[in-house]
Amino acid sequence: MTQVTLTINGRPRQVVAGPDLMLIDLLREGHRLTGVKQGCDRKGQCGACTVLVDGRTALACLSRVAKLDGAQVITVEGLGTPAGPHPIQEAFVLSGAIQCGFCTPGMILTAKALLDANPDPGDDEIKRAFRRNLCRCTGYVKIIDAVKLAGRFLRGETTPDAVRPRPDGPVMGVSHPRPSSMAKACGTAEFTGDILVPGALELAAVRSPHPHALILGIDTSEAERMPGVVGVVTAKDIRGTNRLKYNVGDRPVLCDGKVRQVGDPVAAVAARTREQALAAAAAVRVDYQALPALLSPQEAMAEGAPQVHADRPNLCYVQPLRKGDPDAAFAAAAAVVEGRFSTQINHQAPLEAEASVAFLEGDDQDPVLVVIGRSINIHGSMAILQAALGHENMRYQEAFSGGQFGIKLEVVTEGLAAAAALKFRQPVRYIPSLEESIVITSKRHPYQMDVRLAADAQGLLTALALDFVVDNGAYQSIGDTVVRRSLHMLSSSYFIPNVEGRGRLVYTNNPWGSAARGAGPPQTHYALECAVDMLAGKLGLDPLEFRRRNSLRPGQARATGAVVQDVWPFPELCDALLPHYQRALKERDAAGAGPVRRGVGLGAAAFGIGLAGDKAAAAVDLDPDDRVTVSAAAADPGEGNDAMLAQLAAQVLGLPLDRVRVMTRDTDHTAASGPASGSRITYMIGGATQDALQQLKAAAAEVGSLSWKAFQEAGRPTHYLGQKKILETAPIDPVTGQGPSFESTVHAIQMAEVEVDTATGQVKVLRMAVAVDPGPIINPQAVEGQLEGGMDMGVGYALREEYVTGKTRDWATFKFPTMRTAFDMTVITRETPRLRGTLGATGVGEMSMVSTAPAVINAIHDACGAWIFDLPADPARVKAALAALS
Amino acid sequence: MEQDRAELMAELGRVARVLDGREVWFDWEGFFWDAADWNEPAAVLLARESGLEELGDAHWKVLRFFRDYYAYHGRAPLNRHLREGTGLSLGELEGLFPGGIRLGARRLAGLPNPKSCF
Repeated sequence: MTQVTLTINGRPRQVVAGPDLMLIDLLREGHRLTGVKQGCDRKGQCGACTVLVDGRTALACLSRVAKLDGAQVITVEGLGTPAGPHPIQEAFVLSGAIQCGFCTPGMILTAKALLDANPDPGDDEIKRAFRRNLCRCTGYVKIIDAVKLAGRFLRGETTPDAVRPRPDGPVMGVSHPRPSSMAKACGTAEFTGDILVPGALELAAVRSPHPHALILGIDTSEAERMPGVVGVVTAKDIRGTNRLKYNVGDRPVLCDGKVRQVGDPVAAVAARTREQALAAAAAVRVDYQALPALLSPQEAMAEGAPQVHADRPNLCYVQPLRKGDPDAAFAAAAAVVEGRFSTQINHQAPLEAEASVAFLEGDDQDPVLVVIGRSINIHGSMAILQAALGHENMRYQEAFSGGQFGIKLEVVTEGLAAAAALKFRQPVRYIPSLEESIVITSKRHPYQMDVRLAADAQGLLTALALDFVVDNGAYQSIGDTVVRRSLHMLSSSYFIPNVEGRGRLVYTNNPWGSAARGAGPPQTHYALECAVDMLAGKLGLDPLEFRRRNSLRPGQARATGAVVQDVWPFPELCDALLPHYQRALKERDAAGAGPVRRGVGLGAAAFGIGLAGDKAAAAVDLDPDDRVTVSAAAADPGEGNDAMLAQLAAQVLGLPLDRVRVMTRDTDHTAASGPASGSRITYMIGGATQDALQQLKAAAAEVGSLSWKAFQEAGRPTHYLGQKKILETAPIDPVTGQGPSFESTVHAIQMAEVEVDTATGQVKVLRMAVAVDPGPIINPQAVEGQLEGGMDMGVGYALREEYVTGKTRDWATFKFPTMRTAFDMTVITRETPRLRGTLGATGVGEMSMVSTAPAVINAIHDACGAWIFDLPADPARVKAALAALS
Repeated sequence: MEQDRAELMAELGRVARVLDGREVWFDWEGFFWDAADWNEPAAVLLARESGLEELGDAHWKVLRFFRDYYAYHGRAPLNRHLREGTGLSLGELEGLFPGGIRLGARRLAGLPNPKSCF
């Protein structure tokens, strides 16, 4: 042991440290400085634990306390507080650089060290300084902006007060700071792993090493005798259905009889410490009988293949679609192109690992089971857990959550934590490693797609055929919804009179698929938008003009036959992009034709929001302090939903922002608003909120005042529930795929500029531009942040990222985007009001990556003539495609 | 073919019925798709279909509590709220409706399926 004296945030501290005590543990556990985050299994990959040691950045997860005698340590809490923030913290808030906020403390301290040494850094210096700090949300653009703004503050060129919008000033179209962002900047926002639960049992799971096997027996006897172990939970302890049912109830909380994918949970050990739980979990003996593993849809659909689920065929869902007469249209076409495309299994990669807390509250006879986790659908997750665990009296609370991108639609660790809390009647924490989190969470579905696209001699699209097979993985969850979403958006921005589509969903023993930003359309748009470029090439037409010419127009029908009633401002977006496109082509032509070739590619998207049958609720209250509280279960793992709801309330009621509160995180205090997925928050939950606000506003007009006292005296209610319902209810026809579709659409066209090194196959994205029309913009920084983060994610999807079972273990093997892979971005916005939009607005979060991959792939083709038919377009694939050309 | 289509539609989670000349959508377990489509005659009809010939005062007390709670909060009540709001014990509540509270009373009251995404 070594006695160490060091200063932490200005306060001298003594610690007797063993050789293995790391600074992250001293700070988080010893001093409750939970602004220091742990996001990479202590491998020094994420930078979320960055602190200052003697003025220089240090990764707390790799810093041994025994070597820090005499050191001055500064964490984000030592820099400033929400009441007295440091100018760098102000700059991150005011620049919109904070989305989920999990990376923010580390980013801010890296900025501090950089600006102390270099008060006016350029882009390259910033990128170098931040090379070890990862962010999944922002695409790094606004982080660079924040560092520059902080530099201006510190150099005295401007002040936070001069930059900060006035809370009583204009609301719409103004980037007011998000209500939660200062807490994230100062390290006071508590994520699940930060919540103090004294005496909580720690949980470790026993998971299947097999993709497909029978469980013949589970022997927990040795584990139960190990130090600190309180007990083991298995399927026989579950009192409910033991199925986490979203659309289909096929996924067990704990496997009973069979495992269907690597990482399936078989048992969970509860112990006094995490180390004890992990050691005991390793001592649980599971007797497996391996079964043949079905690792592709073709294997799973083959005659005689074993069934993954005894009660459902492997080909578990088929949805055809037929509009017009595609056979005749293909026969009569002037030009037809076709191709077979595939996409990879991918991880959504939120920076924060999985985490949940569960405990029993109150009455011993009928206690409330409280689950704290990261759900983006707290009421839905609660209902799923109630049925699975057979415990009705529940409350679900969403903690601050480190990114999600679809992955948090599903109940994952909450099931085990809650089951253990019910069995042991003690509080339980389940915080798996990043590696385990990557294995156990849902993935983006891989698609295999055959596409054919036809046009007439005038360059008008006449027919589309797109047949796709979706690898469901081991569990269905929302797989059928993902298939239907793909079909609803099959013809995207275009009017195509004749369409034939078919989506097939197939169980395999691969990782289970579920929501992932865009959920279906990013896959089908890859095939469609590449085919659009192929067809433009065959017809000798410019790809931008070809897309513009084929835009759907209001009154025409989508692929499902649904006639579009709302605006369709896609041609205008093509026009808005045109000068950027012409500039890019000029630069491409000027770059010459050496071994490194330059290319420009486009990808369009019309992304539907508010599907037929969707509905949402939200409540508003006029409080005794004359503030207004919006209560809606609109999770905000980084998108800025809190800012959207607050600004919406201020705008509708004509209130300053500091008279608005937003409550979104607890099932006991919110309306059941539906999931914060499908880009539906602004349109659906915002729409319900707007309805409630308008009721309150009408009441205030009658009362003559928006004051609680006046309402009381007038005998008027101070609580109003708002609703938003899509006008259509019916689903598409299960045989023809025809029927109502999305009520609202966000439109975009993206442009990629790339360099392809024809010797190495390496592709570098130089710049992405997007022209987007989401309707009137409530908070510009929030919209830009979604677009920038989405394009960064889309480029990763196009070029690098892939989940490979057994190989993808951390952020290095995942090829997480970094400042080094970051690129310039341009966001062009148009604001055409939607017929039933929330103050005319619709959503934007997923569309931001829907057409990125095809834009990049089209740019690669433009650069070197090679088509990449399988994602990701890594150097090996690009080289192979180039070799095939010659 | 029509039978197949009906089954497929049910799998999709939505089935249309005509009640009192109105088209009303239900989900795969007979829950109203839209709580606003509910009315008292519909509750009586669904009750009969579930084997409950008459809805007595106690039934209506429970159904009205469900309706009022949902209309105010925008979410379904938990059992603890039902007990407090109706003065009935959990056993009494479960026994009043075929299918119990969640799948019986809640369905007759026109609230969304507890398993619904929304």
